[in-house]
Amino acid sequence: MIKHHPTEQLLTQFSQGELPATLSIAVSAHLELCECCRAKVESLEKRHAEQLFTLPSNDIEEDDFADLFAQITSNDEIDIPKPSEPKTLEYQNKTVSLPRAIANMQRGNFVQLGKLARSRLQLDDGELRASLLQIGAGGEIPHHTHTGFELTLLLDGEFSDESGSYVPGDFIWLDGRHHHSPATQSGCLCFTVVNSALHFNKGLSKLLNPIGNLIY
Amino acid sequence: MVNHAPRCETRAVAGNKTNMEQAPTQALTDALCKVAEDRDKRAFAQLFEYFAPKIKRFGIKQFANEALAMELVQETLTTVWRKAHLYHPDKGAATTWVYTVMRNASFDALRKMKSNKEEHISEEIWPLFQEEQSTDSDFQDHLQSKQIQDHISKLPPAQQEVVKGVYFQEMSQEQLAEHLSIPVGTVKSRLRLALQKLRAEIGDSND
Repeated sequence: MIKHHPTEQLLTQFSQGELPATLSIAVSAHLELCECCRAKVESLEKRHAEQLFTLPSNDIEEDDFADLFAQITSNDEIDIPKPSEPKTLEYQNKTVSLPRAIANMQRGNFVQLGKLARSRLQLDDGELRASLLQIGAGGEIPHHTHTGFELTLLLDGEFSDESGSYVPGDFIWLDGRHHHSPATQSGCLCFTVVNSALHFNKGLSKLLNPIGNLIY
Repeated sequence: MVNHAPRCETRAVAGNKTNMEQAPTQALTDALCKVAEDRDKRAFAQLFEYFAPKIKRFGIKQFANEALAMELVQETLTTVWRKAHLYHPDKGAATTWVYTVMRNASFDALRKMKSNKEEHISEEIWPLFQEEQSTDSDFQDHLQSKQIQDHISKLPPAQQEVVKGVYFQEMSQEQLAEHLSIPVGTVKSRLRLALQKLRAEIGDSND
């Protein structure tokens, strides 16, 4: 069962279109896997709509929109959306289907680093970087802290860290207060969003600090 | 020709409130259904008059710029006009649907301001047309696609050809027009008629 969900605040910002694109993609992907958050977002949207559209307000200017009306209705065609084919990804000899928002973004090829493989989304989103990350069976990421935040959405498989173990759909938000060393027994596929490099804390893994950027 | 009762009018808007609150919401929902089913310009005028000033006010708050606010009005209401057929009254009130259309347009506009790129990724994040989520069993899916196939086979041949080309062979409307040696406009209008018919049929039998 999914135990880790986006906060109410994140869901609210998401429903108002106020989250950056990469985080919006992460929340959208979580919603595909989590019925209860989907219902929450639907009720938030309903509430925003009521606030903007049905509560009485006095500060509405009367404008002349006649030209715009004529322009819009002069074309009688309708837009047919592309049927969206579920997209799949082959990894570790498995085929998994990707949530729509992730599947439909441009991505780079997977870059392998030991048991990790990362494919970054080619999406300009300020300092935020989003990637698909595979960790092979028995793989782990050395003990690290985040100088900014790290959002992990587990899409397939399992992993665990000092705080517990995670299942697909879990939405795990960590920041500078958290130290962890995630590890997976059977391998996993995650979607991650970070806004700065990781900081490795222990022994030889400190040597990785210059490439922390590469991992996520 | 069977005369299908519009599927929207018989339904109540989800989440009932008091009559006072419900009245305008229900009227807007009915108007949106008329736009979806009959391309009814008078119904669209009703929506337009109601939403345009409110969207503009939201746009001014959002962008602090009148020209961008007007673009938001245009973008949102154009989508309402052209995609009304994607609206399903049983998923919520018209106000909520128009809100999500506006939110998406605003999201894309803000990204365009920041990254200077013309993208429409909001449609991937918040698809206006959501297939039923995967909680349904495969069994259900098969039944449903069988049912849809049956309905398609009852369409006039010219419309069948277009629906099959676009949905089963995944041709673009332009490719299909070339393939069939007919104008793109004809492809579009055949597709529109076919979808209206399918929606009416499938909607009815689900009731």
